[in-house]
Amino acid sequence: MKLKFAWLVAAGMMAAPAMAAESIKIGLSGPFTGGSSSMGVSMRDGVKLAVSEINTAGGVMGRKIELVERDDESKNELGVQIAQELINKESVVATVGFINTGVALASQRFYQEAEIPVFNNVATGSVVTKQFAGAEFKANYIFRNAANDTIQSAMIAEEAVKRQGFKKPAILADSSNYGQLGKTDLTAALAKMSITPVATEKFNVGDTDMTAQLLRAKEAGADVILTYAIGPELAQIANGMAKLGWKVPMIGSWTLSMASFIDTAGPNGDGAMMPQTFIQQPTTPKRKAFIEAYQKAYNIDRMPSPVSAAQGYDSIYLLAAAITQAKSTEGRAIREALENLGTKVEGVVTTYDHPFTAADHEAISDNIPVFGLVKGGRVGPAHPEDIEGDKALRIKPKA
Amino acid sequence: MQILMQLIVSGISVGMIYGVIAFGYQLTFATSKTLNFGQGEALMVGALVGLTTINFLIGQQLGTFWAYCLMLPVVLAFGALQGSVVEWLGVRPAMRVKSESGWIMATIALGIIFKNLAENIWGRDALKFPSPLPEASLSFGGIRIQPMEIVVVLGAIALMLGVEFFNRRTIYGKAVVATSNDRDAAGLMGINTDRIITFSYALSSMSAAFAGVLVAPVTLTGATMGAVLGLKAFAVAIIGGLNSGLGVVIGGLILGITETLTGYYISTGYKDVPGLVLLLIVLSLKPSGLFGKATIKKV
Repeated sequence: MKLKFAWLVAAGMMAAPAMAAESIKIGLSGPFTGGSSSMGVSMRDGVKLAVSEINTAGGVMGRKIELVERDDESKNELGVQIAQELINKESVVATVGFINTGVALASQRFYQEAEIPVFNNVATGSVVTKQFAGAEFKANYIFRNAANDTIQSAMIAEEAVKRQGFKKPAILADSSNYGQLGKTDLTAALAKMSITPVATEKFNVGDTDMTAQLLRAKEAGADVILTYAIGPELAQIANGMAKLGWKVPMIGSWTLSMASFIDTAGPNGDGAMMPQTFIQQPTTPKRKAFIEAYQKAYNIDRMPSPVSAAQGYDSIYLLAAAITQAKSTEGRAIREALENLGTKVEGVVTTYDHPFTAADHEAISDNIPVFGLVKGGRVGPAHPEDIEGDKALRIKPKA
Repeated sequence: MQILMQLIVSGISVGMIYGVIAFGYQLTFATSKTLNFGQGEALMVGALVGLTTINFLIGQQLGTFWAYCLMLPVVLAFGALQGSVVEWLGVRPAMRVKSESGWIMATIALGIIFKNLAENIWGRDALKFPSPLPEASLSFGGIRIQPMEIVVVLGAIALMLGVEFFNRRTIYGKAVVATSNDRDAAGLMGINTDRIITFSYALSSMSAAFAGVLVAPVTLTGATMGAVLGLKAFAVAIIGGLNSGLGVVIGGLILGITETLTGYYISTGYKDVPGLVLLLIVLSLKPSGLFGKATIKKV
């Protein structure tokens, strides 16, 4: 009897402190190794920076945020396993992350079924937030604070045709989901301006010789190359053009800002342009503070992927604001709070003023991204006048 | 015409790489009737060892060109060692028990192990390999070639000529040829055929490692670079004929040139198709390959 009592006391003592300081668990899923890792690691570092700031300031509802990080290696099947682990074993209240559209689409259904919000802070596929948006679903648990491909492809077409006056674009896209879906979006965006690309070429991830693709574009008389692919192959395109002694501008999706493109293409990559939600320049006080904190925390000068870092950072502040407003860590309450966010959240990318509604789960609207330009191994603004003065802070218009 | 020539030139430089790797398949098949299915991984590990070595040498205030030259013997020695290990661990046990397929599984398994090892040591990102020659391309009557592409072609030819010379002119080479022709008879003549087979594996991985550092400056280096190249080279070896050194070179050129020509004249989406169609045609009409000698297997 005495022994049993002692056990009870011991068990109580062990459980008690855990109860008092119970932290809020947030899942973090992204590729931290492999071809997409520069984006994944920057996103993770941005997320961790925001979490440590929030925890230092006292946490959310007086509770600390605890991250549960998992490397999905850009693999769909691994993403699915991680989703199940985070939901069932770790009991996270929400998950942020996903770099690859394919991984996001494969993993999200588990969160949707478990009614746990997912915050996509990098994946850009247009369909990501629409997966469960139909009338047959009671509510949609998928949110995003990244510029989706519909926005990006429209921007690319606008920049190439309207702003720079090119008439004969050639599209070069890789054979992955990302490249082919992007190619479809781009073709549609060009069609709205009554422009048909003079050439539409495809290549595989891992291809090293782009001679055939580039010669076809060149012979078709292309005056600009529009790309939808990832870093290493984009670099092969830039290097291939230099080899053929043919130089036309490259305008493409935001992956042209990947370190693997910039470093591998070297001087051949100079002049490439892409939509960016954030450029590593202290154009607002918040951005200045963020860049300095990031550089100090990770002891680097150039962020591997500034966009991913900034969006990762903002996603945590948005989520924290929603949890605070909901006064609950229950998935349904967090989703409702996100859809009716009462407080303005001052982020790095923009100031989020009621960013979501029940019907609109995209925090980034088409007026927010600006064009970045690769120059001397860094991404700067392509049109500095776009982010001058009060234009630096671009806010989503009220619905 | 100029475009056609440009495509053929690019096809040749791609095809030569396929040819060198396929040459490695041919080397071991000749002596032991076995193949190293981890040939692509031998190439990848060789290139990564080369990358570490060249970066170390550049760190010692050496110019890229001399660092590249000094790196070559290190990589060749490493390749030879790696090939011997594959033979010793994967092929010899299977041959000892006269297993028909044990070596297939063993060499594939070793290939996977080498890939995982490389992922753990060098990470999974594609890394840039310093180019020993200027990267600006040269123009020959409008046809543009990168200096490194010329080195790839010349290096591949030099390697194959070197092996041919060794086989025809040296006593050790003659032992290799004798083992290829008739292993049992060679054994009875006092040739240590086990050692010859180990040697052919060493030579095979050495040529793969050499191919790795040849292509690396043109492409990128990384744990996954071997997979596609190894597979393409296997197709080349079958098209050209597994027991013909000349055959694999020509097979490589055929595949490389058809790829670029199809990409340009038909569609870049179908670039890989004709090579595979060719593979099927060769397999059904002349299973020993375009240049292979049909052998009758006596049971």
